[in-house]
Amino acid sequence: MATSGCMGVANLLRRAVAARASRALVAFATSRRLLRTSPPSRAFAKELFLGKIEKKEVFPFPEVSQDELNEINQFVGPVEKFFTEEVDSERIDREGKIPKETLEKLKSLGLFGLQVPEEYGGLGLSNTMYARLGEIVGLDASIAVTLAAHQAIGLKGIILAGNKEQKAKYLPKLASGEHIAAFCLTEPSSGSDVASIKSRATLSEDKKHYILNGSKVWITNGGLANIFTVFAKTEVVDSDSSVKDKITAFIVERDFGGVTNGKPEDKLGIRGSNTCEVHFENTKVPIENVLGEVGGGFKVAMNILNNGRFSMGSTVAGMLKKLIEMTAAYACSRKQFNKNLSEFGLIQEKFALMAQKAYVMESMAYLTAGMLDQPGFPDCSIEAAMVKVFSSEGAWQCVSEALQILGGSGYVKDYPYERFLRDSRILLIFEGTNEILRMYIALTGLQHAGRILTARINELKRGNVTTIIETVGQRLRDSLGRTVDLGLTGKLGAVHPSVADSASKLEENVYYFGRTVETLLLRFGKTIVEEQMVLKRVANILINLYGMTAVLSRASRSIRVGIRNHDHEVLLANIFCAEAYYQNLFTLSQLDKYSPENLDEQIKKVSQQVLEKQAYVCAHPLDRTS
Amino acid sequence: MSWAQAILLARGLSRGWRGICGAVLTGAPFSQVPLQAPRGLHCSAAAHNSDSWLVPPWPEPRKGPTKALTLHEELFQQTLEGARDKANFVRAVQNFGQHNVHKRGHVDFIYLALRKMREYGVERDLAVYNLLLDIFPKEVFRPRSIFQSMFIHYPRQQECGIAVLEQMESHGVMPNKETEFLLIQIFGRKSYPMLKYVRMKLWFSRFKNINPFPVPRDLPQDPVDLAKLGLRHMEPNLSATVTIYQMPSSKDSTGTADPTEPHIVGIQTPDQQAALAHHNPARPIFVEGPFSLWLRDKCVYYHILRADLLPPEEREVEEIPEEWNLHYPMQLDLEYGRSGWDDYEFDIHKVEEGPVFAICMAGAHDQATLAKWIQGLQETNPALAQIPVVFRLAGSTGELLASSSGLEEPPPPEGQEEEEDSQQRQQQGQS
Repeated sequence: MATSGCMGVANLLRRAVAARASRALVAFATSRRLLRTSPPSRAFAKELFLGKIEKKEVFPFPEVSQDELNEINQFVGPVEKFFTEEVDSERIDREGKIPKETLEKLKSLGLFGLQVPEEYGGLGLSNTMYARLGEIVGLDASIAVTLAAHQAIGLKGIILAGNKEQKAKYLPKLASGEHIAAFCLTEPSSGSDVASIKSRATLSEDKKHYILNGSKVWITNGGLANIFTVFAKTEVVDSDSSVKDKITAFIVERDFGGVTNGKPEDKLGIRGSNTCEVHFENTKVPIENVLGEVGGGFKVAMNILNNGRFSMGSTVAGMLKKLIEMTAAYACSRKQFNKNLSEFGLIQEKFALMAQKAYVMESMAYLTAGMLDQPGFPDCSIEAAMVKVFSSEGAWQCVSEALQILGGSGYVKDYPYERFLRDSRILLIFEGTNEILRMYIALTGLQHAGRILTARINELKRGNVTTIIETVGQRLRDSLGRTVDLGLTGKLGAVHPSVADSASKLEENVYYFGRTVETLLLRFGKTIVEEQMVLKRVANILINLYGMTAVLSRASRSIRVGIRNHDHEVLLANIFCAEAYYQNLFTLSQLDKYSPENLDEQIKKVSQQVLEKQAYVCAHPLDRTS
Repeated sequence: MSWAQAILLARGLSRGWRGICGAVLTGAPFSQVPLQAPRGLHCSAAAHNSDSWLVPPWPEPRKGPTKALTLHEELFQQTLEGARDKANFVRAVQNFGQHNVHKRGHVDFIYLALRKMREYGVERDLAVYNLLLDIFPKEVFRPRSIFQSMFIHYPRQQECGIAVLEQMESHGVMPNKETEFLLIQIFGRKSYPMLKYVRMKLWFSRFKNINPFPVPRDLPQDPVDLAKLGLRHMEPNLSATVTIYQMPSSKDSTGTADPTEPHIVGIQTPDQQAALAHHNPARPIFVEGPFSLWLRDKCVYYHILRADLLPPEEREVEEIPEEWNLHYPMQLDLEYGRSGWDDYEFDIHKVEEGPVFAICMAGAHDQATLAKWIQGLQETNPALAQIPVVFRLAGSTGELLASSSGLEEPPPPEGQEEEEDSQQRQQQGQS
């Protein structure tokens, strides 16, 4: 009964979504043409590198219509009920697998085909709706990871790069959950280094098949999946008729033969998800199953990964909201010295932190989802990466603070808290480690800024007097403390006056960030790729700026629309903006030349010496020379 | 006192002064200049001993009867029946104290004991040095007035005290509180031995760990272990693997091992292996050596396997693959590089050398032995089978050939003909 009920809900939603999609399309067609006539849509984050705020992209905060909201709420209800009442996270964690009946229920709820277009039997949810559902799925990390591996990366390739036949053949079964998908890229010798992929697909003599050989590691759903998106090297004849090895993506069915998998890895967290090695031995893959072009696998992989990240923000926010409820109940009931824990300042501080982080990552996630939902496939990969970095680190920090509030209860297996801690650790690692994503964020933006500033910088380098005088004059004015106005505040400004102070902080940060980027490009040129510590700071500032923008946009909208508890939002927004502002100031000063705050040289020396000895270098404190 | 006597005394005093000043001021471990410092009043002129130049050498022709000294010799002779170890040395020193309640001739005895220390293997024992200092009578030599301390009070005794400290220094023995206490008791705070002590305390602690590549004090006796140590010492990369290609045929470590089966120990890093695998087989590689390496007082010889530097036109430019990093761009598409103001690289003239693929230490330096090394290397470096190997074994190492305490005999001289000869042989072997 329950299953059919869910099916009913899913169908209902499907219909509703279809209706909404067509409505939205019409609306866009009319409104967009009015709003955007000449300038093409520019990505928000990239413009920050030039010291500009692309207001139209982020103000006002994206909204969904009342109808859509009702629809999604109708759908969210049963899913939430299922997750809170029926999913036994403790058992999933203990047994190391998701029970069959839970998986079946997830399938019947339609959770395996959230973003598969309706024509192929999925729900065709927009990114915003997908993020909303992620909040609930995030209540159990193992299920969230299993689902994400299936649809955010596993079958995403077919949606993004597959042709009609491939979509028609595979998507319906994947959307219903009859087949589970997995994404096979990582190999023992290659993580992000695609050039060292060893798996190989060779064309058979009749040119109808590729023979696939190789092993892949850390494959989520590797033991459950029937459909694999596999990346392997193939020989490609280049334009200059030289033969080169290039990556190609394939859709591989388990039934093709020669596909085996190792036993599931015993992991620290997300223990219910299935991670194992997958081996391909002389697997015959028909040429129709090449995903995208032969030799075009690199782009396919990049697109899949860049698209799959933004949802982590809402997933983590959902988890954090739950965690705040649980710890708050504890803090308000446990007494020490005749006082509740909640009355102690140091405990209160932790709750404020959790609320703030949850608020920021939620805002960032929905802002990004809203941007992605705009027509014309906007490139929001930097924004998505920022959401991922911020939310994963926020999750780890908040869970750690929550455990601090809980004391011993957080550390034992009788309570769910330690599981939260274990589960959240993986967030910093998978889908591109945070270090790698910071490089991506910084370098992609710098590349953009570099292209635009090239002419100016070239003139400076050539010693063009006018440009130099201009630059020096600008620097002088900056150092004498000019007020920056990028048009966020004031009459008819984009932000509400309650957060105007924060907005001018953001403006100031953005302006000086633009100046710093220019200086950095001038100083390092293309060798900035090697300055990873500099790049990390650039990325950190950008993440803060994006977070500030997101909360300002959201809080302004909340006040203007009159959302419940918007004064609380204003508080959170102002706190975050102030903190981020001072952090940014500090980081910007570290990026100055000869900055006393910048200890990179010393840090590099220390690590060099440690790595040379491959050990802790200092003598024991009790050692003597005599 | 006659006038002549007074002059003699004055001259002696000044000599003593100079001797002590020289000893104290240049007493740092680096003082290689053999100061011909004249002995003080009570000391006869003496040639210097390489071990400790302040200690007068013994035996030597001495003027006049040296009854006391022969007596001292006997003290050590008594213990000769037993083993020459610390216990017997200590007994001899204690016997001196018992035989000689008035400590007559203690300076001579201390000099004698200092010379004997090496024989008894106690030259690095702080307790023994303290015992020797303890022979001095206490409080007697302490200056009582400012004038006494200005003009060296009991110069011969002070010099002897310095000699003890000097010998400690040359063996790297750090004095301790007990030494300080004894010196204060014997010579007082304002004395030259005390000055020497303070300086030792200061500089020893600074120089003790100044070598970033410390060599253990006691080197292993086994040539294989010594070779391992030497190879590890030369190769900073910790991931390098040491392989023993051949153990010496007899376990006798005294160097009388069967010359047909000398030990062969080699070291190679994974990077070197990779470089060798990528080596162009058309270009020969060379076994060169022997080169010497000093580990404390032992000299060992090693050989290297190396190639010539590729001429610039043959060097492959390492191109950055287009599709390399899935997550972020490995290079930026910008026209300009680092600005001159941010380029902190010093303009250093660098001489590039060809790659070194492996290092080995072997018991023998002939081609047959080294060929075995190359054979052994082939197991981990299959590419080596295709590459012609040329042996360039030089006779002279350009270093000290003979070292009395060195472990290995210097390599037999081999002429230049050897090289061509071996080259031919090798090429025959290759074809």
